[in-house]
Amino acid sequence: MTPNVYTATSTTLKWLLGTAWLLPLAGFVIEIFGGYWGGRKTKTAAWIAVGCIATSFVLSLSALLVWRGATAEIREKQATALAEHDAAHGHGHGGEHGHGEHAHAASDHAHGAADHSHAHTNHVHTDHADFNPLRTTFTGEFYRLARFGSVVVSMDYYIDGLTVLMFTMVTLIATCIHVFATGYMAEELTEHYEDHQVHLSGGRHFHRPGRFYRFFAFLSLFCFAMLGLVLAGNVFQVFIFWELVGVCSFFLIGFYVERKSASTAANKAFIMNRVGDFGFLIGLMVVLTYFGTFQFANTSPDEIGSPGLFQMVRDTHGHMVTEGDGREKVVLLQSGGNTPLHSQDGKQRVIPYWLLIVAGLGVFAGCVGKSAQFPLQTWLPDAMEGPTPVSALVHSATMVAAGVYLVGRFYPMFTPEVLLTIAYVGAITAFIGATIAIVVTDIKRVLAYSTISQLGYMMLALGVGGWMAGLFHLITHAFFKSLMFLCSGSVIYGCHHEQDMTKMGGLRKKMPITAYTMLIGVFAIAGYGLPGLPINFSGFYSKDAIIASALTYVSLNPQHFLLFYIPVVTAGITAFYMFRMWFMTFAGTPRDHHVDEHAHESPLPMVAPLCLLAFLAWFCAFRGEDGGLAHQILSSEPTHVRDGLEHGGILGLSLPSHHQIHEKHATAGWVALFAAGLGSLISYLFYCRRTLDAGTIGRQFWVIRDFLIEKWRFDELYDVMFTRPVHVIGAWCQGFDKRVLDGLIHLASHLTLQTAKFDRAVDERLVDRIVNICGEVTYATGRSLKGIQTGRLRQYVMFIALGVVSLFVLVFAFLPRS
Amino acid sequence: MTANTLIHDLLRELPRSVEIFVPELILSATVVCLLLSRIVGCDKKIPPCWTAIIGSLLAFMAIFAQFMYLKSGADAKTQVVRSLFEILQLSADGVGTIGPYFSGLLMHDHFGTLFRLGLLLFLVLMITLTVLTGIPDSEDGPDFYALMCGATVGMLLAVTANNLLMLFVAVEMMSVPSYVMVGFLKGRKLSSEAALKYVVYGAGTAGVMLYGISLIAGLLGSGSLPEMGDRFAFLMGKQTFSLASGETITLVLGIIMVLVGLAFKLSLVPFHFWAPDAFEGASAEVGGFLSVGSKAAVFALMVRFVLGFDGEVPVLQSLSTFLGIGLGVMAVISMTFGNLAAYTQTNMKRLLAYSTIAHAGYMLLAVSALLVTLNAPSGSSVNPSEGAVHCVEGLTYYLAVYLFMNLTAFAVVALVRNETFSEEISAYRGLISGGPATKVLCVCLAFSLFSLVGLPPFGGFFAKVLIFMAAFNAGSIHWIMWVFVVIAGMNTAFSLYYYLRVLKTIFIDPPPADRLPVNAPSLAGWYVALIALPLVVLGMSPLQDDLSRTAQFVASSLFK
Repeated sequence: MTPNVYTATSTTLKWLLGTAWLLPLAGFVIEIFGGYWGGRKTKTAAWIAVGCIATSFVLSLSALLVWRGATAEIREKQATALAEHDAAHGHGHGGEHGHGEHAHAASDHAHGAADHSHAHTNHVHTDHADFNPLRTTFTGEFYRLARFGSVVVSMDYYIDGLTVLMFTMVTLIATCIHVFATGYMAEELTEHYEDHQVHLSGGRHFHRPGRFYRFFAFLSLFCFAMLGLVLAGNVFQVFIFWELVGVCSFFLIGFYVERKSASTAANKAFIMNRVGDFGFLIGLMVVLTYFGTFQFANTSPDEIGSPGLFQMVRDTHGHMVTEGDGREKVVLLQSGGNTPLHSQDGKQRVIPYWLLIVAGLGVFAGCVGKSAQFPLQTWLPDAMEGPTPVSALVHSATMVAAGVYLVGRFYPMFTPEVLLTIAYVGAITAFIGATIAIVVTDIKRVLAYSTISQLGYMMLALGVGGWMAGLFHLITHAFFKSLMFLCSGSVIYGCHHEQDMTKMGGLRKKMPITAYTMLIGVFAIAGYGLPGLPINFSGFYSKDAIIASALTYVSLNPQHFLLFYIPVVTAGITAFYMFRMWFMTFAGTPRDHHVDEHAHESPLPMVAPLCLLAFLAWFCAFRGEDGGLAHQILSSEPTHVRDGLEHGGILGLSLPSHHQIHEKHATAGWVALFAAGLGSLISYLFYCRRTLDAGTIGRQFWVIRDFLIEKWRFDELYDVMFTRPVHVIGAWCQGFDKRVLDGLIHLASHLTLQTAKFDRAVDERLVDRIVNICGEVTYATGRSLKGIQTGRLRQYVMFIALGVVSLFVLVFAFLPRS
Repeated sequence: MTANTLIHDLLRELPRSVEIFVPELILSATVVCLLLSRIVGCDKKIPPCWTAIIGSLLAFMAIFAQFMYLKSGADAKTQVVRSLFEILQLSADGVGTIGPYFSGLLMHDHFGTLFRLGLLLFLVLMITLTVLTGIPDSEDGPDFYALMCGATVGMLLAVTANNLLMLFVAVEMMSVPSYVMVGFLKGRKLSSEAALKYVVYGAGTAGVMLYGISLIAGLLGSGSLPEMGDRFAFLMGKQTFSLASGETITLVLGIIMVLVGLAFKLSLVPFHFWAPDAFEGASAEVGGFLSVGSKAAVFALMVRFVLGFDGEVPVLQSLSTFLGIGLGVMAVISMTFGNLAAYTQTNMKRLLAYSTIAHAGYMLLAVSALLVTLNAPSGSSVNPSEGAVHCVEGLTYYLAVYLFMNLTAFAVVALVRNETFSEEISAYRGLISGGPATKVLCVCLAFSLFSLVGLPPFGGFFAKVLIFMAAFNAGSIHWIMWVFVVIAGMNTAFSLYYYLRVLKTIFIDPPPADRLPVNAPSLAGWYVALIALPLVVLGMSPLQDDLSRTAQFVASSLFK
């Protein structure tokens, strides 16, 4: 790409995405002030919000097309190179074994000179720089906030294939959810909203004015924050918007703030996120100390020589250049090309390897909080206290996926050790989430636990080196999970705020559109499809990719076999609880006639988004990994992922290459499909045919059931581990304070009192007099100045004469004498 | 010079002079139109305010074109400005040439043009405000606007005056209409009384000033301001600047007397007695007009007058330094007095009157620093002309910000008076609870008062910083400037009290139970928001840099 084309495209993309980003902010300002001064019975706020986000969608889509147009040539070249590369690879090594042996030999010689072994360079001469995603990335600065020495705090942008894709996905889903919410929130359009879930004394309910406009204002603010997070060009900016989405989430979870459960849930979400953010801050500090910049990368032709983080930590081939061993191991920083980066006094700039691990773990800790990963997963189910559109947008499709997105974005900075941690955290989370979802009966909470579980999947995928698989699942999951949340919203709306599945059943006939769109979502999440067929459910492809990555990883690192078995088992459980939910809600006969009588299909603004999302949930991954979506994601894949890694890092972990994953693909697909089929079948027997009685089984395994119902007792565990010790320590401190400190203080105060009494006497008789005299003199001066202003004309004229004469006198007094 | 050559020169210069004088001519024509329309009866058909607005806008466009012509060197970037040049037929020989015109009576330079621009902008805003508040009724609209435009012509003359004669004429020309405007509220005793006091006081000081002018002109044999210094140096010969020489005594007496006349217009202590009474008696709009317009004009005039004594000769240097320190003393007395006396005021307009006295003190500090800096001994760390540029830059910036902050304050007082019929501070209690436009008024008043105190991020902060910096730098030439800066800084702290008291009344005190909700018209809210916006813009946006660069640019034209 010539510099001119780069600059032109960069400017276009900057304006398109910048406008798409800022429009919701403008919407927020108008809505919050307009709502404050306007009436409470108008839907204007909703239409403004919908208009803003829909325009943002159009702009994002244009940006996507612009980006594709501008980078078409490069991507085509990459594709050709890739084909040659793969062919050569296949011939060069007889499969993965040969590759592995070669690596062993090489690493013996290497003395740790390069983290990534150069085994294959003997055979293939493809320039890796061709695959560098930075070649299709546009970076720059919107606005510089401040500059402290060499550290610049600015609003940057970093636009690559993933950015434009995320923009399109977020704005599209947000538009659907906004439209849905215009119907769902309609009951807030009143001066006297009665909140049936807040009981006042005397059996009455709480009344308040409706908050329609406020809901949409916060939704708009959230969209602004989320888009800002995606567009951010430096990790500090990510942190700013990270906190802003957190605040919006807090506002929206606590939307029904009068309900104690809602306000507690909002606090819980906020506080648990702060725990993760603490780690994030530590990571940021390490990054700032050793890299001196927050920028991801700097690809502008004008700025060669001021590399960003990704360019510093890896060379253009994607290798981390290291030196030394064990504790002394350091990473040599690069200057954007393949030359080392020197500090001002000419020394090679380095970062200790273990600190790079700390930075990676720190940033990942932030992602653990935001994406509700183990051990900070407990806030997300409680966050379902917010209105359902919020759950669909914030707590399934976008904000909670931001953690996964950041892991993907920050991928070049992660060492294999960090990736292993990520993989295990992801696997544990996926399993915990899925098991709890089996026993939950609240329809939204099933989806919440499912979200936790799926986010765990994504983390697992990223951790085992399936970069594309993780982000692929992020996109497909966003579509089918937001679809299912909206369907659940439609059910809740239709059943007059009944969320308990044990009171539903047979709703298929009353609300057919909701039922069948939801069924599409269930198929998608269960991952149904036929390998080889191009139009499978989107979840099939993404889950397939994850399982394939995990299987390859395990085959390379057999000691981590759990990382394959857990996701496969979880896939089965996922299908089980998802079909359980669908059967309990829509199939069979009504369980509660009161609920059933009043149930009705939702109005058009609510079902139309369902149909659109159902379409996308089915077809968005058209042609799977050969399709447009996967290629779009793949264009942003960090360079080093393609060829994997052999015995890297301190632990000697191997990461799978594309080639290796591809070989395991078919096996993995069938395994996953089998697990899903088994899960669905059991579910069918339990909840549709009722050949097996869920109640009886539950009673037999009551220990496990209760353990799951109590959510693995995490809340109790945290209560015992953190809350109660804090209370106890608090009580001790209080006791110490009361008995010991207070005693001392009383003594001291007694002494002070005596001194003070003496002092007071001195003060009153001596000091006060002086101060009072000063004050009185000042005030009296003021008053006397007022006194001069008598208002008598004769005196005024006299004052002119007096003034002039006194000036004369003064001047002549000070004129030099000789 | 014979009468013949004089007339010949005048005629030769006439086209250029008229070209430069176009804005003043337009304003004069507006005055004539306004007065004639009363006779013909047109004022019933065309409201006089429209005539006045159109006239002042035309004058503003004319001066804007002149300023852009000077700034861009005849080669403006935008088409609009270029077509303005063509319509007004601006030429490089006319407006493009810096120098005296009308046979040396007036001076055309960047400094004067920027001030004329500011004054005409102020006139436009002022007329808009009076239309909004409806202060002149339909009966005496023509008279009121004729007076206002007439006074503005006087101000325009003042900022371009190049001769002692013009100095006197200009000061009187802006004073006489002001007297009438102060007494314009018919049937109000307080107003008439204030006007009478103002007239008598003005007449007294005018007499003193005229006496001073005759002393100077008599001694030096010329009224031309730029020649004063050279002539005095020539007259002194080998004498030193001391009590021993009669010429020194005479000249110092003359200068003091002229400064008395200017100090009266600036309401500097001890010639401020008229100000509180006149401001209280006059309507708030007139108060705003007097406090900003005539002050800006007289400060420009004062800079021109004192720069007349600038020169390399030791006699002139000691004269300037002496004068500078004298003005500095006057400045600190004024600001201290103004701030202290404002403490006990209960009437909003009276409070603002004392506040203007204090602000005149701050601005006089810049003039004082200017005189001290100009005469830096050759070995000192301060470059005289560069330092002087910074002093004038500070003064210009301060006046620009002062225009908006004082206008905002007086406009809010006038608009609130229209709703509550009171100007007492107690009537402002809980004003924030009023309608949306009232809320805007309150917030804008808060901006204006914060800016008057000099708190960041408002324009007033940077204005104060510029002046204090200039005075501080002058301190390296004479230590007493540092004392002045310290006193000025303390004064800033003093002033916080009485401004905040007003804000506390508005924002914290509960509204009186018997008052109806205050609902200002929304147009008023927009207007006040518009004139308060520059306070924020000049405090925290790139325009701040633009203005200070422009101020520096025009200031440097004085020292070429």
